[in-house]
Amino acid sequence: MARLELDRLSKRYGDFHAARDVSLDVAEGEFLVLLGPSGCGKTTTLRMIAGFVEPTAGTVKIGGRDVTTLPPWKRNTGLVFQNYALFPHLTVGQNVAFGLEMRKVAKAEADAKVLDALKLVQLDHLIDRLPRQLSGGQQQRVALARALAFRPDVLLLDEPLSNLDAKLRHDVRVEIRSLQQRLGITTVMVTHDQEEALTMADRLVVMRDGAVRQIGSQKDLYERPADHFVADFVGRSSFLSGTMAGDAEMKTAGGLTVRCAKSLSGPAVMALRPERVYVGREPISGQDNTFPGEVEFVSYLGSLIDIHVRLSPQDRVIAQVPNHDSAALPAVGDTVHVGWAATPAVFPADSDMRA
Amino acid sequence: MAAVTAEGPRGGRLVLSATSLIGPATVVVALGVIGPLLILFRYSLNDFDPRMLMIDALTPKNYIEFFTDPYFLAVFFVTVRVALMTTVICLILGFPLAYVLARTQTRFKNLLLIAVVVPLFVGNAVRAAGWMTLFGSRGFLSMTLMDLGITTEPTEIMFTETAVIIGIIAVNLPYMVLTLQSVLEGINRNLEEAAFSLGAAPLTMVRRVLWPMALPGIAAGGILTFILAMNAYATPVLLGGPEFRMMAPVIYSQFQLNNWPSAAAVAFVLMGTTLLLTIAASVATRQRFRD
Repeated sequence: MARLELDRLSKRYGDFHAARDVSLDVAEGEFLVLLGPSGCGKTTTLRMIAGFVEPTAGTVKIGGRDVTTLPPWKRNTGLVFQNYALFPHLTVGQNVAFGLEMRKVAKAEADAKVLDALKLVQLDHLIDRLPRQLSGGQQQRVALARALAFRPDVLLLDEPLSNLDAKLRHDVRVEIRSLQQRLGITTVMVTHDQEEALTMADRLVVMRDGAVRQIGSQKDLYERPADHFVADFVGRSSFLSGTMAGDAEMKTAGGLTVRCAKSLSGPAVMALRPERVYVGREPISGQDNTFPGEVEFVSYLGSLIDIHVRLSPQDRVIAQVPNHDSAALPAVGDTVHVGWAATPAVFPADSDMRA
Repeated sequence: MAAVTAEGPRGGRLVLSATSLIGPATVVVALGVIGPLLILFRYSLNDFDPRMLMIDALTPKNYIEFFTDPYFLAVFFVTVRVALMTTVICLILGFPLAYVLARTQTRFKNLLLIAVVVPLFVGNAVRAAGWMTLFGSRGFLSMTLMDLGITTEPTEIMFTETAVIIGIIAVNLPYMVLTLQSVLEGINRNLEEAAFSLGAAPLTMVRRVLWPMALPGIAAGGILTFILAMNAYATPVLLGGPEFRMMAPVIYSQFQLNNWPSAAAVAFVLMGTTLLLTIAASVATRQRFRD
């Protein structure tokens, strides 16, 4: 258990920046999630923490000690791989004991610790099995027990749930999270699954093209996304693009004047969360913006309904409404009114994002 | 075959086509290998007289002679020793090379693999001639050592066991490397990284993870090179010289003396020893892998 500090950590392969100036400060016992699409640099960052990738620049400190130049076997980090990487020729018990054995822990003490670690993941009854005799979920828990048994300073999880089926994934998420909290172990997890990230993390780091785009709590990322990319990647948004037309007003591509809660200038993009967009038969009162539009598409999700409303040939918003009364839902082709409050989620248009 | 015949309603046709596929090879093997072996085995039980040559008999005399005659026993031990030495050295030299080939990310991997195999393109006799120019007392190696002042006397490697071992290693190493490389390639890199992250330094990782996991491949490569070394003919003859005796050349010299029964017996001892040690090796490694 220790604090983990990354200071302007970078990795360059020729002209390609796998990670640039990644600075993170993970508090003792904190669960930090690196989130981003594939190729965003999250795995490279994790592998630099573990010691498998040598940074081009920057430092990694674990518990105040600079480990940047230390090889992985001298770092005391517990790593859980996407494919678990259990040693197939060793039993569950021998797998879990491996880290203790490398640390020359006496046999009796090691045996007790192996049993403790396996009890943590409720697999102590399978101690003599070989990995191939276990289900995927069981293998995943053995990998976790193996990474925890020697009490690492930092626990690193590399997409640990992506090989599990959906049902199991939900259970394991909660299990890992509560285990991590019970042990109070500093943890960094890499994932591309935002739902997984949102349910497990204390704090999230959204990355793209090797760089950190935003660090914050779930609420920070959802309510106050830092840029177009984060607004698009975390949660769902529909976007209106246009040009800022004065103080807290944007002129959309389709000519609508939309009020927002931020002042900018130049080309801009506005992100609207579907559940914050109201739909009605009459103009929406009490909202900063209200426009008529034509229902273009209705998506029935069961408890929720997505309604896509076209406001102009260039502007479309998505509203998500609770399914209170399916008979009262608008149909495709109906004219409806949509409204929403002025939002601070307006960003300068991002050249590498489609609007 | 059993699996093929169990294929259901169309089984009959499948059996027919399977037969036609494996038939020709089976016939060649049966006529070309098993037949002569049976005849040779029969010969090995015959008696021999220098004047009357082979005499029909049913006697273990030739086998008893092999295991009691100091000459044959010496040949036997030299052969097994050379084969074991070359196999162990091939393994020590081949493992790191195979590891690099298995893990390399370079685009030139195929070229590297070809470079490993290229020595096999050169015939045994040609290769041995090359070694001769190196190994002789006035050869390249000896003269260079003297010129550099490392030695004052000519170094004689030619016509020694060392020369034969070096020569056989040169032939066998590619087999070992290719066998190990394919096995190591099948071991996920993540397993190495897992060992590292758990605190294993590279050598410990090899000992605890790579080696035990590669053991079936190590056994296969070892058995292959061992069989090749046991049966080496050209290399011991050309590099070992007239005084150096391994079993394959001895079989031939017995034929030249027209002593077919003795030659046949030596051949079967060679085959039996190779087979026995091979089985022993695979049983030993299998049990160790199960532990």
